[in-house]
Amino acid sequence: CQKFLDTQRQGAYTSDNYPYPQGGTPYDTFLFAAYDALRAYNYVSDGFMVVTSIRSDDADKGSTPTDGGADVIGMDNFPALTNGRVNSLWSEYYAMISRCNRIIDQVQNNTEIIATDAMKLQAEAEARFLRGYSYFFLVRAFGRVPKIDRPLETNNNTPQSSVAEIYAFIESDLQFAAANLPLSWDKKFIGRSTKGAANGILAKVYLYQKKWSQAMATANLVMTSGQYDLSVNYSDIFGEKGENSKESVFEIQGTASAQVQTANGIQYASIQGTRGNTTEWNRGWGWNMPSAQLEAAYEPNDPRRERTILYCSSAGNDRFTVYGQKAPFFPTEVPNPKYNHKVLANPAYIAMYNTRGSWWMNVRILRYADVVLMYAEAANELGGTANTTLALDALNSIRERARRGAPSGTLPDVVFTSQEQLRDAIRHERRIELAMEHERFFDIVRWEIDAEVMQAAGKTAYNPNRDRLLPIPQQQRDLSKGLLDQNPFYN
Amino acid sequence: QNVTVKGVVKDNAGPMPFVTIMLKGTNKAVQTESNGNFTISAPGNAILVFSYQGYLTKEEPVNNRSTINVTLTQDVQSLEQVVVVGYGTQQKRDITGAITSVKGDEVAKMPAVNPIASLQGKVAGLTVVNSGGAGANPVVRIRGIASTNFADPLYVVDGLIQDNIAFLNPADIESIDLLRDASSSAIYGLRGANGVIAITTKRAAKGQTRVNFTSNIGLQKVIDKVDVTNADEFKKLFSTQLTNINASPFDFSNYNANTDWQDQILQTGVINSNSLSFSNTGERTSTLINFGYNKQEGVVKYEDYQKYVLRLNEEIRVNDNLKVGGNITGFYSKYNPTSGSLTNALWAAPIVPIRENESTYYAMPSFQRAQVGNPMASIERNNRTSINKSLRFNGSAFVELKFLKDFTARSTVYADFGFSNSRSFSRPPFSFINIGENGGATTTVIDNQFRSTVSQSQSESHRYQQDHTVTYDKSLDGGHRFSAMIGFTSLRFAGSNLSGSRTDSTLVVPNDPDLWYLGIVNVNNVLGNSGGGGEETNAGLFSRVSYSYKDKYLFNGTIRRDGSSRFAPQNRWGTFGSVGLGWVASEEGFFKDNIKAIDYLKIRASWGRLGNANGAPANLYQQGLSTGSQAVFGEFVYTAIDNAYRPDPNLRYEVVQGIDVGFEMKALKNRLSADVTFYNKTTDGNITSFPLPATQGGYTYYTNLGKLTNKGIELSLGYSDNIGQVNYNLSGNFSYNKNKVVSLGQNTEFQITGNGGVNLTNSGQSIGYFYGYRQIGIYQTAKEMLNMAQFPNSQLGDIAYEDINGDGVISPLDRTYLGTPFAPYQYGMSLSLDYKGFDLLVEGQGVAGNKIYTQRRTSNFATLNYEANRLRAWTGPGTSNVEPILDNTRGNNFLFSSHYLESGSYFRLRTVQLGYSFTSDLLKKINARNLRLFISGQNIKTWSRVTGYTPEAQIGSITGGGADNGVYPVPAIYSFGLNVTF
Repeated sequence: CQKFLDTQRQGAYTSDNYPYPQGGTPYDTFLFAAYDALRAYNYVSDGFMVVTSIRSDDADKGSTPTDGGADVIGMDNFPALTNGRVNSLWSEYYAMISRCNRIIDQVQNNTEIIATDAMKLQAEAEARFLRGYSYFFLVRAFGRVPKIDRPLETNNNTPQSSVAEIYAFIESDLQFAAANLPLSWDKKFIGRSTKGAANGILAKVYLYQKKWSQAMATANLVMTSGQYDLSVNYSDIFGEKGENSKESVFEIQGTASAQVQTANGIQYASIQGTRGNTTEWNRGWGWNMPSAQLEAAYEPNDPRRERTILYCSSAGNDRFTVYGQKAPFFPTEVPNPKYNHKVLANPAYIAMYNTRGSWWMNVRILRYADVVLMYAEAANELGGTANTTLALDALNSIRERARRGAPSGTLPDVVFTSQEQLRDAIRHERRIELAMEHERFFDIVRWEIDAEVMQAAGKTAYNPNRDRLLPIPQQQRDLSKGLLDQNPFYN
Repeated sequence: QNVTVKGVVKDNAGPMPFVTIMLKGTNKAVQTESNGNFTISAPGNAILVFSYQGYLTKEEPVNNRSTINVTLTQDVQSLEQVVVVGYGTQQKRDITGAITSVKGDEVAKMPAVNPIASLQGKVAGLTVVNSGGAGANPVVRIRGIASTNFADPLYVVDGLIQDNIAFLNPADIESIDLLRDASSSAIYGLRGANGVIAITTKRAAKGQTRVNFTSNIGLQKVIDKVDVTNADEFKKLFSTQLTNINASPFDFSNYNANTDWQDQILQTGVINSNSLSFSNTGERTSTLINFGYNKQEGVVKYEDYQKYVLRLNEEIRVNDNLKVGGNITGFYSKYNPTSGSLTNALWAAPIVPIRENESTYYAMPSFQRAQVGNPMASIERNNRTSINKSLRFNGSAFVELKFLKDFTARSTVYADFGFSNSRSFSRPPFSFINIGENGGATTTVIDNQFRSTVSQSQSESHRYQQDHTVTYDKSLDGGHRFSAMIGFTSLRFAGSNLSGSRTDSTLVVPNDPDLWYLGIVNVNNVLGNSGGGGEETNAGLFSRVSYSYKDKYLFNGTIRRDGSSRFAPQNRWGTFGSVGLGWVASEEGFFKDNIKAIDYLKIRASWGRLGNANGAPANLYQQGLSTGSQAVFGEFVYTAIDNAYRPDPNLRYEVVQGIDVGFEMKALKNRLSADVTFYNKTTDGNITSFPLPATQGGYTYYTNLGKLTNKGIELSLGYSDNIGQVNYNLSGNFSYNKNKVVSLGQNTEFQITGNGGVNLTNSGQSIGYFYGYRQIGIYQTAKEMLNMAQFPNSQLGDIAYEDINGDGVISPLDRTYLGTPFAPYQYGMSLSLDYKGFDLLVEGQGVAGNKIYTQRRTSNFATLNYEANRLRAWTGPGTSNVEPILDNTRGNNFLFSSHYLESGSYFRLRTVQLGYSFTSDLLKKINARNLRLFISGQNIKTWSRVTGYTPEAQIGSITGGGADNGVYPVPAIYSFGLNVTF
């Protein structure tokens, strides 16, 4: 009778009968689950894009006036509400953290998995890179968050840690990752966590804490690694052909085929795709529209403007995409005059994959130019003649690339040597170079210029005491039985 | 002086064989023959007593007559009636639990494809929530919700354990017994905790060859549509909204249509049921063959469902002690789903025309184009593009042997096989016309990148069950009756499925079902495929003892040791049981002498304990892995594994214990009957899946958690009498159930949220209650607002919420209990009349005390069509204190609050049926025994304040119930039918 009642799960593995692959690192299948979580809807697409870009002065919600409703309009014009989008964002980042914790737990505690020390170090380093990156987003978006460093028991209701504790935790994760990750991966694993990615994110973590010398030194490790340079022209960085180039330090990978159009991809570009009423321009929701403030910020003739902002055609004024296609007409074909040009898909790929959804496009999380500008910023903040020279050189290397092919006199080298002037120049360059690339909101907050910038952008409801952080999702507060505190001025 | 008396005994269906005619006060008795004739020799002043199980006993004085013809009438409340009690039957008089029987006829004459649907409102303690969908299964609950995870009752069809009875022909059911209390269902061990619905199918009537045909055909129509704005109203509201958010006006100049999308997607559907049966009883065999055909068209275009059922029942009496028999049912169904979406029809702007021609449709305006499609384009494009078939065969064979005089051994083996397969293809999309806005041209777009996809899926399931029992029955002198039974049962259920799809990269697959197989598309174009399976087993050892003394004192006891493969070996087995006591007070001498008005009074009390394993998916104690996610590196895709859930190695069945106290009474010469039951049922260690905070990884976690109770009262009343030639019967039932979560978790205060936090389950309240803000009005003026609690971003025209905690501001702390989705009160009533050949049935049914959440109104991801309530939106001080300003950017007004709750109370005229049975003269001419014609109206009028299609609360989700997201309408049905027996 006991035998009769001993049934097994049918057609599904358990942790006891899973044939962990031999040969590669035995932790890969667990790690891949973490990489899978990178592509999650809010982790990198909807919530991520709304929080990092639509909230800033560089972008507006776009689409039609009522589209997205209170959720997104609240993010654009403040205050953000504790809604489903915020909850999903929180949940997906913690889902990633949970997957990372499981890998670390397997490495440290599962004695049945046979692996060399090198395999263990590398697997743990990958997990800790992804965990550190995730906490870095959480601490910037939500401030005080629970620090979860291991798989939790179900009755473990964890309170929030201070921002300083979270930053310390992120630093230790990324330092460990940087020490143990490889410089690069074989083509089969392109886009996997690298030493450069860990140092690059770590440099940014230092920058956010104004740890200038560590930021400068860490950025320098990336710049001297031999893996990256500024050889790729600005115009070629984006789009499908620019994926995983010399410019790419950390890039979330998506792919598609004519059969599998979305399952292996990312919705990021689709959400920002043109919301057209013709077949050709019906590519998405039309969210994240470049703002008038961004448009006005460019220096004369800066070629980066046209590569960032897709201007729609209008009567008597034909405009063209980077792929040579005539841009859609506003307002008859699309409801907005501008779109994010950086996420525009190449028609050749649309034809190949048979869909305009653009889910195959990678998301650039950390570009080399970002690292160079971090280096410049940290060097300038440290000050001194030598550092100022290093900062100027770094800054001008970015401008040099940007003006390639433009009429002479465009984007001349910066020659300021006063710390204030150079600071403004670097901040300006950062805004322009990385426009629509999810840096702006967090940058203006850390520079503490958010209040004035938002007022100037007409976002008059912005209250820096409240709106620098998102509200802690009410659903999570409920599940924690009120253990999670709400952020200030959200009640 | 003896006379020889001859005569015929009949019922309303014709002559009755095997009726016992006894000389009153003696042991002398005869039986009628197969043609109903009898002959008996009796003294001229004797009294003859005519009795037959299930019929009212009739006494007839001889008065020296030589011919006495008698018509017996069925007794629906008969104490002799046999009731299914689990692995056997018992006479109703000996029952000490709460069991209600419903005759199959009551189900057969209703226009419904699923037999359970017709029980709505008929039985106290039984909740049936019907769906109008073609062939849809209703949601069934017995005595509230005993578990936060699984609340469906167990179905037992002629002994075979089942999850539903959709495969039965409603007209082929003899009786349905509802085992409501823990003592009655304890014999089912780990499966019966949510109550048991035992179905007995028809057997051949004794001694007769009969042919019976019943048929009814009806039309179904939605009579309560959702009130949404028309084109002019929509334009007005949308313009107001744009003004309110400082957006430029919308250019309506090319939008001239006024389309009622609901009218477009709804249809009048046909419902048709037919049943033909042949039965015969010979000297040693009895045979019944039944064929049923049911068809139901949905009320949403172009849904339809058909089912064919064939059943054969055979019994062979080998000799006086040995009987063998079997039952085989074959079932075939065909389903065409609709791709029509009710929310889509409610959301689509009314200003858009439907179509230009059959392949060119209009697209929605830019403000909803990306989110809302043309409702008709989807329906027409996907009409008849899939073929869904199901096959089911189940059967049983038994041997029954009487031995040593008082013993009966019975062994039954059952097998049940199910197969389903479906095939579909995707048809090319239509062309769409984008109406020009803002001076732009009207354009026609076509998706020239379309590629056809062909999909196929198949699944099979098989179930084997065996039951073996030995029963000992003994009646002793002095009024002792004793019965004992022991038995063993096992059940194994397993299944597997396979599906795949391919997308053609060059060809468009034609709209020809003969081509919709995967093989039609090149093997290199696989889109996806998958397969899976499941297996579980169950074994139990059980026993029942019954004892009665002088029909006055009753005792029933059961015990069962039961094991389920779902749990880890150490948590697998449980021992359950019940005790029931009854006292028939009316059998006592003092009662008979003193209380003449009451003919029968039984007081019963019972206790039962049983387990519930139904809610937990199998093998959850092991750490399952999912392989459905993948890492992507460049163009390379790698399978990832993730924990599929969070395991609890100690997971075990939940334990349900219940006590019942009941009174059964007949009074006023058996004209009045009443049955009152009080119950208190407790679930302990409730199996719960509940959301963990995201910080714990977001996995589902099943564990045994906390305790909940259901307490209630069930009351049934009936009164039958006649006024002259009019016989009438009035009956009513009422039930009240109070559900309460006593605690969830011992050390940690767990809670369960449902439907995104709208429903909450925690200690001290009912399961899944509505939890949100309470509206107290609308902020009218700036001055008034100064003194009112508010959110930091509240504005004039927003909903004002109550400051529950009195801290002067509105915050999440002000959310509170707003009601329950589960109706605590339910009632049903019926009146039946007959006069000569005419019969009339009027039935009503209703619920009270619950709330319905109009979740469909909270969507604000785009501008959607408005429901009529928005015409009364606030536009300035004093204009409305209920409806907030038209502005979908004001999130505070979309928070879950009492604003979105409606009273779920309703009363529905469930059935009005008028029939006529033809007289025997006419019947003789056509050689028939019986012919009845009837017309019927169902759900023809509902009284409620609900604004959705139906007030029936959607309670399928236990911890997130009661939301109306465009629930499928329950239509009115107008039908005509006939029933003829030869």
